[in-house]
Amino acid sequence: MEFIIAKYNYWIYIILMMIGLYAMIAKNNLAKKVVGMTIFQTAVILFFISTAAKKGATIPIVMGDPHLHGHAIPGTVHAIQYVNPLPHVLMLTAIVVMVATFGVALALVIMIFRRYGTLEEDEIIEIRKKAVV
Amino acid sequence: MIWQLDLVLLSLVVICAIASITVKDLLSSAIILGAYSFLMCLIWAEMGAVDVAFTEATVGAGVSTIFFVAAIYHTTRRTKD
Amino acid sequence: MINKHDDIIIETLSRLLTPFIQAFGLYVLCLGHYSPGGGFQGGVLVAASFILLVIAYDIKEAKSRLTEKWNIVLNSAGVFVYAGIGLLCLILGANFLDYSVLSKILPVGPEEARALGILGVEIGVEITVAACLVSIFLDLASRGEHEEALK
Repeated sequence: MEFIIAKYNYWIYIILMMIGLYAMIAKNNLAKKVVGMTIFQTAVILFFISTAAKKGATIPIVMGDPHLHGHAIPGTVHAIQYVNPLPHVLMLTAIVVMVATFGVALALVIMIFRRYGTLEEDEIIEIRKKAVV
Repeated sequence: MIWQLDLVLLSLVVICAIASITVKDLLSSAIILGAYSFLMCLIWAEMGAVDVAFTEATVGAGVSTIFFVAAIYHTTRRTKD
Repeated sequence: MINKHDDIIIETLSRLLTPFIQAFGLYVLCLGHYSPGGGFQGGVLVAASFILLVIAYDIKEAKSRLTEKWNIVLNSAGVFVYAGIGLLCLILGANFLDYSVLSKILPVGPEEARALGILGVEIGVEITVAACLVSIFLDLASRGEHEEALK
């Protein structure tokens, strides 16, 4: 019980990731599949940000000393007081990739609609079967 | 981290995620996805990842929603599931 | 000429808001070293101002301010600035994107040359991201024909 309650971030991350995976696999509409892909990516980013969080820590911006040209006084910066900034920087790149894949997927959805006139997956398969026969 | 605020925001995020894939209208789905992105941005700002939260607020809640609305304007709002 | 879709409140407000959004984008770019922000976020904000113009007015109004030719030029110029600063560091005898060696050609010390070098790279990123997002939105909103958008 302690294990479940203390790590609630990770359980929510797993729930969100499974919602995104279900939408990508089981939904019939192509635009809903794109929505599921976005939810999946944000769930992964939530996992990485959760690994960086610490209890009682503040945001990773070190306030400098004006007498030392903005540098902090040596020996006064303790890493335990700040959130780990390395996963944040990794996830910035992931968000950039997210918007790029989102734009490409929407362009593909628009091209499929211009070709077939529908976004439902089963109707597209029907049209393709008739075209082959 | 304040666990009360965390739990409220995380449950709202799960509700928004379920609603955006079950609603029967693609335009509603786009707007709920924007709300989902903005709630996610609030969670990250509350966890201390202000840089990631700023990027998500500009990209996920702003530009992605506009892209989605522009795409379904030229396709269709109809969806069966 | 006033069309059926035109709304004078929305048009006036979006025209007044556009320079402030762009100024905030440049502020985010310049404060990216010390606070949240940077080239990508500032570029998204600058692109959002153009997207607001396209939504409130027409695609022709936005194209009279940023033509397609200039959009392509800016798309390439940002990457050129980024890679140019990196190659300049290579030519001056250091590693790729090792800015401290820029103090040989700038009248500042190595520490300030580092800050100026990262600022130049961020300017390149901002230009490319703004132009790229505007062209993605124009292609999505007008089906690639660039005639009219969302009207």
